[in-house]
Formats: sequence, structure tokens, C-alpha cells
Amino acid sequence: MTAYIVRRLLQGVVVLFLISAVTFLLINLAPGGPTSAVSLGRTAEEREAVLKQYGLDRPVLVRYFDWLGGVLRGDLGKSYNQGLPVSSLLVQRMGNTLQLALSALALTALLGVALGVLSALYKNRWPDHLISSLATVGMSVPAFWLGIVAIIVFAVQFKWLPSSGIFTVGQEFSLWDRLRHLAMPAGVLAFTLMPNVIRITRSALLDVLTSDYVRTARAKGVSERVVLLKHTLKNALVPVIAILGLITTVLFSGSVVVESVFGWAGLGRLAIEAANGRDYPVILGVTLLVGAIVVVVNLLVDVLYAAVDPRISHE
Amino acid sequence: MNSAIQSSSAPSRPRSRFWLRVRRNPVGLGAFLAICLLALLVVFGPALYRVAPDATDPLNILAASSPAHPLGTDELGRDMLSRLLYGGRVSLAVGLLSMLVGLTIGTLAGGVAGYFKGWTETLVMRLVDVFMSIPSFFLVLVIVTVFGNHPLTVVVTVGIGFWAQMARVVYAEFAKYRGREFVEAMHALGASHARIMFRHIFPQVLPQAVVLATLGVGWAILTEAALSYLGLGIQPPLASWGNMLQNAQAYLYSNPMLAIWPGLFIAVTVLAFNVLGNALRDVLDPRN
Amino acid sequence: MAKGIRWKFSGISAALLAGVLSLGGVMAQDYDPNATLNLATNADPTLNPWTPGAVVESNLINTIVFDQLVRYNKKDLSPAPGLATSWKVSQDGLSWTFNLRKGVTWHDGKPFTAEDVAFTFNDVVLNKKLGGQNAGNFSKVKNVEVVNPSTVRFVLSAPFSSLPYYLAYYAGILPKHVLGDAENPLQVASFNKKNPIGTGAFRVAEFVPGSYVRLVRYDKYWGGTPKINSIVFKIVPDPNTQMAQVISGELDFVGVSNPALLAGVERNPKLQVLRQSQNLYYFVVLNQNDPRFRDVRVRQALLYAIDRKAMIDSVVRGYGTIATGPIAPLQKAFYVKDVPQYTYSPEKAKQLLAQAGWTPGPDGVLQKDGRPFEIDMPTGQFGYLVPATLLVQQYWKAIGVKANVNVMEWNAYIQKMFVNRQYEATLAWWSTPPTPDVTPYYASAAADKGNNIPNYKNPELDKLLEEGLKATGVQEQVLTYRRLQRMLAEQLPYLYLWYPDIISVRNERVGGMADINTAAAFQYSSEWFIKR
Repeated sequence: MTAYIVRRLLQGVVVLFLISAVTFLLINLAPGGPTSAVSLGRTAEEREAVLKQYGLDRPVLVRYFDWLGGVLRGDLGKSYNQGLPVSSLLVQRMGNTLQLALSALALTALLGVALGVLSALYKNRWPDHLISSLATVGMSVPAFWLGIVAIIVFAVQFKWLPSSGIFTVGQEFSLWDRLRHLAMPAGVLAFTLMPNVIRITRSALLDVLTSDYVRTARAKGVSERVVLLKHTLKNALVPVIAILGLITTVLFSGSVVVESVFGWAGLGRLAIEAANGRDYPVILGVTLLVGAIVVVVNLLVDVLYAAVDPRISHE
Repeated sequence: MNSAIQSSSAPSRPRSRFWLRVRRNPVGLGAFLAICLLALLVVFGPALYRVAPDATDPLNILAASSPAHPLGTDELGRDMLSRLLYGGRVSLAVGLLSMLVGLTIGTLAGGVAGYFKGWTETLVMRLVDVFMSIPSFFLVLVIVTVFGNHPLTVVVTVGIGFWAQMARVVYAEFAKYRGREFVEAMHALGASHARIMFRHIFPQVLPQAVVLATLGVGWAILTEAALSYLGLGIQPPLASWGNMLQNAQAYLYSNPMLAIWPGLFIAVTVLAFNVLGNALRDVLDPRN
Repeated sequence: MAKGIRWKFSGISAALLAGVLSLGGVMAQDYDPNATLNLATNADPTLNPWTPGAVVESNLINTIVFDQLVRYNKKDLSPAPGLATSWKVSQDGLSWTFNLRKGVTWHDGKPFTAEDVAFTFNDVVLNKKLGGQNAGNFSKVKNVEVVNPSTVRFVLSAPFSSLPYYLAYYAGILPKHVLGDAENPLQVASFNKKNPIGTGAFRVAEFVPGSYVRLVRYDKYWGGTPKINSIVFKIVPDPNTQMAQVISGELDFVGVSNPALLAGVERNPKLQVLRQSQNLYYFVVLNQNDPRFRDVRVRQALLYAIDRKAMIDSVVRGYGTIATGPIAPLQKAFYVKDVPQYTYSPEKAKQLLAQAGWTPGPDGVLQKDGRPFEIDMPTGQFGYLVPATLLVQQYWKAIGVKANVNVMEWNAYIQKMFVNRQYEATLAWWSTPPTPDVTPYYASAAADKGNNIPNYKNPELDKLLEEGLKATGVQEQVLTYRRLQRMLAEQLPYLYLWYPDIISVRNERVGGMADINTAAAFQYSSEWFIKR
């Protein structure tokens, strides 16, 4: 097992290296430059002075290895447009994205599994149809559109929830306040993520419910509730855990848009700001961080998978 | 005569089973018909409804529905109906084409990796890992920023955001069949690798690929819309449902219909593809 | 510098003028000294007015935190005392002496002196290696000398009559005792992103990146204790969300980027919609390096073809007036109206093009020497640029000129159009301080590399621009700039489209904001108050 984990981590490092190389070369091909240098009204002289400060007058490869050397020493460089170390920007934004992502994930997992179970238990009856219709709708509605509609309804029309931000500025910390701010963005994200979980839970549960040992248990007169809880759910969770890895990437993708709609200062918005402003070190930092998270989550999922399901072994 | 009867009767059983499953799945059928209808509408609609989608009329902006403009006009006085039809062409084309890009790259890469194993497998599957590790939207964001938002760039980029998933599925299937006896037998009989891959293994993989591809169309349409929301999708003067929605942002309070129409078309289209994909999964998957 | 001034908060309508003025005295006791004012900005600001990249998201906060030598007069935007109480220019126009205000302290309690002014200019603005934001505005300044602790002298290389205007235009003074030892005073993160030191009415108390910047009043402010306890700038990137927040009362004041967003507020009794003009104009430029556009008749024809009234009605929902030149009507002393107007007339456009040798081709597109009249017209994803460009495309199509519009992402567009000048026509805008001097945008020296986007070169114009800069008396200036405006309207180096109204929405609980202009209003933040 240890050997397996070490091997996967090494592979992960190679993957991250490739990501960084590709992103670095790509982003340097992009037309334009950091907005602090390239903007309407900046004369050629000012522009060149600023680009020189950033070292952008040097060849791309030199800059890449320079950057890579920095990364190996734990230095991700400095943001061109913000003037802050990239690492500090990432730390600030990471916390916010984690809050949002974990809430959305928890909501997705809880509601998704519950609805999936319900769906399986009422297979082909109306609750099943209702839930699967909802799930399909969830997959089909643009997340940003849902977010905007939610703002119009819950923030503008009824004034139940704040339309953006992470907490009320100038107020003492209050859990209630945080939750109110989280409700819409996490809800929208969860709504778009949930269909996968519902579907997988449902089909896994159906597989298990029709399996021999559950039939045996039923035949022995074990009550339906015990069958469900003790025998079925645990086994049905295995495939759900399996798709957590996939969900993590979808979650990050979804957060790019949702963070923009709800003014949530997370990694997704940082990525957009950096891409628009050609803030190369920040783009690279975000890509690297998100890549690392996905690598680690996938590894965790596989390890967890093996732990829950004894049939799988990572020799 | 004789052989004709034979050849027609032999495969008729699986085919009738297929139709039986289709008939048992009216929702899927409905989705399929909806997609056909949408396709007809956007392909032939503009020929019947001859109003230019880019003709501006600043004196008649944000007009309500009227005989001249059945769905009213947008913020530049352009005809909404015409834009929806033309925009649908673009959105559906982007969806289908990027899915094809993803399907082609994914199938080729996954197939080769699963069939030949060895270093090809390592190379391709690590690349798949790389792509699976970058949330597709980050990737798409970077590529569109770099290469500009020419419609082709958008199509290829959205397709690239999708190929890795396809490759992984195809790879698993190819790897599974690679070891089967019939493959060994074909090879012993002198069939080329390409022939074995395309004639014999690929058809086995096709059902799964079709399901993924159908779902992929919906995903691609949504991705283009999200890119448009960030100003990176298909660009005007070309209309797409995505950029129509983006334009409508400023008019959410005053003219919500500007946003509701394209939003509705996106939702219905994606919904239809998703429902169809799920239905196909039920119909084509022999395990059901 | 010009990017999206109109995305920011702006001024107050003349309609409110009377109301606010009459409140002045009466309100003195009725304000809440513990109140918080909620404002918005669209991204994390950089709290140093000269740092490269400190633009729209930073300008207003910096205006509050950092005082400038000169402010705008609240009535007519003429230069008025700020940190400088008075100034005098030498006979040859090459030396300006500024007397500084006494008893001013920095937010850390240290006294403000002439050394700070000299540091700000000599070591920061005029240090070419730093590439400071807006530093190019002071290219005629050689250096700043300290005469005594409360007097400085600006030494110029050429006459620069609009120096005081530029000193009031995002030109905050920096503290030498804090930044003097820094290797690059523009890139001190602890200053720019956390704890800047200014002399303004409010000081920064808290900066939570991505969320908000909280300012609290500076009790020892030289202009008297501010009447509001704190100001919070929330970071809200989406204009729809900003609008939703002003409607729900979470924000007190926002600039409105698109008048269409006003639909939700026009009937709200608690909100006031403010219309204000600013020295800002939209234009189409025709690249003068393309010989087709050097013919003045072609430029005039392409302007005649555009129905600017209809464009204003649709693109900015009527919130704007037709532009006649670079000097906006708010510069009452200089603006002239009796110049060629180019009222919409496709017929005149066609006639002029025919005179210039353009004849209808087989497909309806004009041609000359067998080449069709096609124009490569890139545009960027920003504000109204795309819809306005699409309208222009349709107007030109109607007279047989084919514009190939290419919509680009903003940064890529700037690179192509502004840096590389790879365009034949494009639509953009300039926002400038309220001075009649337009040298940076029109001088031949600024073509191809500087802000002369159309690359227009005209020695006669250059001479007029120079005369304007040398003019010492107001009367002399007025005459010169009238001639300048006529010449520009006839020659059309830029095709002038419109002066947009700057729109903002304000909660009625806010009082004491100067009426003329947002930039000016924010220079007098100590006078703002929140009604009880």
C-alpha cells in the first residue's frame, strides 16, 4: 500500500510538472500583457519600464526555468497586478473556496445520497420519477443562470438572503451570518453536482437490493429498515466514494462561474481575474494548486475505495 | 432469396429487442424527437423566417412582440426570433462539433492506449491524468484566453475539455477486449491491428461511447454558455444562445424575456440531450 | 488611465443641486456621527495612486486616503487648493511655485512637509524605471525643488499651463518617511495592500482581500473631523450584483455601468438616480496610416453615415449628448458649440464618398480602383464597445462600406489596437482631466506610440496645441482652444460620437456630497454625512 501511495504521488508530481510547463508556455503565447503594463493610455515608455521590472523582456524558456527554480524553493513568485506574493494570494482565496466547496460537497453528498436512496426504494413510482426529473434538470440548467435567478428571487424580491460576499462587513463573526451568505452559492453548486450522486446511489442501491445476500436477509425476515441500513447502504456507498474524485474537478470548474456570480473571493475568481489581467504568476499558481488538490483527492479516493471495498487491492 | 431471408432474420431478434426497449422508453423517444425538432427548426427555420439576425434598428429597441417581430427585439433592435434560430445553429453546432472533437481524440487515444499497451498506454494515460487533473473549465479558460475566441477555437477547446473522459472509458473497454480470444484469433488469421480495432473492437465500445457523446453535447452547450457569460465564448456579430444570455444580463429587471428565451432554449436542448443520453444508456447497455 | 472611468462612481445631477445646498446648514445636527457609508469597487484595490495597474478599482479609495496638492473647485472644476494653498507661475511658464498647507499630519502622526512632495515626484513619478501609473502626465516636469519646508518649486522643460489640473487628477502625495527607503516605493506590499499612510480624511483600518476595505475617519484631518465614522468599500465585481445591493440597501452609492440596469431603481423612493457629465467622449478612429482615411472627405462621410442620436438612445438609453470634440460641455469656459455638426445624412455621406472617388460596386459595396471599401474593425469585450461597434457596422453597411467586426477579449484587443495599432477602424473612448489641453491625444509626437490612437499627424494642429500650453491668461487660452475645437471638428482626427452621462445611484440617506462630479466629490469626503 505504501509503495502504491508513493508511486502515485510521484506520478502526481510528474503530472503537475507537465501542467506547469504547458500552462506557462500557453499563457505566454497569449496576446496582450499584464494590465499594469498593457492598458489604454499607457505610453510605450511606461509599458516597457514596467515589463522590464517583471523581467518579461527575457526569453520564455529562461523565465520558465527561473520560475521552476523558485517553485522548487517554495517561492511561487509575485503577482504582477496585485504586487503580493502568489502564495499569500492563494492562501487567502483557498480558504474561501474550501468553505464553499466543502459546504457544497456536504450538501451534495447528504442530499444526493438521501434522494438516491429514496429514488431506489420507490423505483419507477412517482418519487423516483420526480427525483430523476429534478436531477436531469439540474444537469441541464446553466449554473450562472440559476445563480442570477436565485439572486433576483431570494435577495432582490424577498430579501431573505444577501446577494453576494462571504460575510457581512463590519459585523462580529456569526455562524448564522456565514451560513446565510453560503446558502445560495453552495445551493446552486450542489444543485448542479447532485444529479451524478443521485444517479450513482440509485443504481448502486438497486444492484445491491437485488443481490443474493439481501434477498437472503429479507427471506430470513430481517426488517426492511435493517436491511437498508446494515446491508445495503454501506455497499452502495462504494461507487459514490468513487465519483468523489470526479466531483472535485467538476466542483472547481463550477466554482469559477458561481464565485463570479456571487462575488465569492475564491480561487475561481482569482483565476478569471488573473487570466483577464495576464497575471502569469497567479495563473500558474492557481493551476498548480488546483491540480495538486485534484491529484491528492483522487489518491485519497482510491485509498478509501480500497479500504471500503476489500475486493479492490492496490497490490 | 434464401440467403436474404437468413440474413434478415438472424439479426432481427436483437433489433426487435432494441425497438422493444425504445418503445418502453417513451421519455427517451420524446427527447429524441425534441432534438430532431430543434435541429429542423434551426436548420430550416432561417430559410422560412427571413429576417436578418444582425440587422440593428436603434429606433426600435427592446420592443414587445409584434407581427414584424414575433418575439420582440433586443437591446439593439435586432429580431429575437431570428437570433434564436441563428443562435441555435451556432449553439447546436458548437455542441455537436466539440463533442465530435472530443469523441475522435478520446476514442483514438483511448483505443490505441488500450490496444497496444506498453509505452503508448503509459504516455496516453498519463496525459489523460494530466487533463483529468485540470478542472476542464480552468483549461478552457486558459486556452480561449491564449488563442482568442474564434468559433473554431471555442469548438476545439470545449472538445479538448471532454476528450480525456472519453479516452478513459474507451481505453478501459479496449483493454478488456484486447485479451479476449477472438482478438488473438483474428490476429492469428492475419487481420491488421487497424482492422481489428475498428471492425471488431470498436463496435463493442460504441454503445458506451454514444451514451457519453450524447451527454457530452449537453455539456458542451453548457460550457459554451458559461464561457459566454465570462465574455470568452462565441463572439458577436455571430449569435449564440450563450452570448444572447450574456447580452441579456443588463436587462434582467427591465426585459427578463431577453434572458428567458435563450436560457429556456439552452435548458430544453441540454435537457433533451441528457434525457436521450440516459435513455440510450438504458437501451444500449446490455447489462440492463 | 482612461479605462472605464465610467464604471466607477460618479457625480450628482444638477436636479439635486438645490436640495443639497439648502440642506447644508440645517443638517449640521441631524447627521449620525457613528454611521458607516457602504460603497463598492469591482476588484481588490491597490492603495498607492502611482502603482502600475492601480486604475478604476483603486482611484476613488486613493482619492479619499491620499490628498493631492490641488483639488477641483466644487462649482466649476477649476483648480482649487488642496495640500497646496496657493501657486504662482513664472513669466516664461517654466517654473511653478506651490505654497503648502501648514499643520497637516500623516495618518501615523508625522508632519507633512515639502520633502514629501519632492519625494513623490522626483523619486517616484519622474523615475522612469518605475513606470508609474499616470506618470506620463508629468513628462514636462524636470524636477521638484524644496524651497523651504512649506514651499516647493516645479521646474519644467516646456510650458505646461494645465499642470494644476493634472495635479488634481489621481496625483496623491506619498509619505517620504514611510516609502523613502524602499527599493521600489510603488511595490511595497505592506503599504499598497494593507496599511497605506496618507493625509486624507479617512485612513485604512482593515483590508480583507477579495472582500472589503474598511476606512475610518482620521480625527486629526486638516479640514476638520469627518462627519462619518467609517467607509466600507465592498469588492463586488458583478454590476448586476452591485445594482441588487443598492436596491436592497446594502450599498449607499454605486456607479452604473449600463443605464439598462436602472430599471429596478427608477421607481424606488429611497434611491436617487444621478446624472453627471465628465470630460469623457466616445469616438471612432480611422487609422491614418491607411491612405484611404487620409482624405478628410472620407472621414466626414463616415461620420455623416452614423445616426448618433439613435445610437445614444439605444446604446446608452438616452443618457448622453452628441459629441463635437474632445472638450466636453462641462468645461463651460472653453466648450464651443458652433462647429460643424455632421447631422445624420446617409445621402451626404454617399456624395462625399463619390467625390472622393468611391463608386458603387456590383454587390453594393463601394469600390475604388477595383478594390472594395472593406474596413477591418476590431473591438474589445468592454462596456458598450461591442453594441456600439455593431451599430456603426450597420450604418456603414447602409452606405456601401463593409466593416468586418472582430470582437476580442479586452487585453488582446488593447495589444492589437493600442500597442500594435493593427486596426483600420475601431471604437473607443478617452477620459481626461477637465483641462482643454489635449496634447497627449492629438500631437504628432504621440502618434504610433503614445495616446494619439488614430496616428494623426498635422503640424498646424501641433502649433495650436503648443500655443495653448504657452498661454498664460485665460482669455488667450479661450481663444486658442476655440480655434482648436473648430479645426478638430473640420478635420476629424477622431469621429466624435457622444459624451455619456455618468450615472450613479445614491441612497437618500447620504448627504453632503459635492454635486459637480464624482472625482471632485471624493476629494471632499470629510464633508459627507449620513442622515439620521
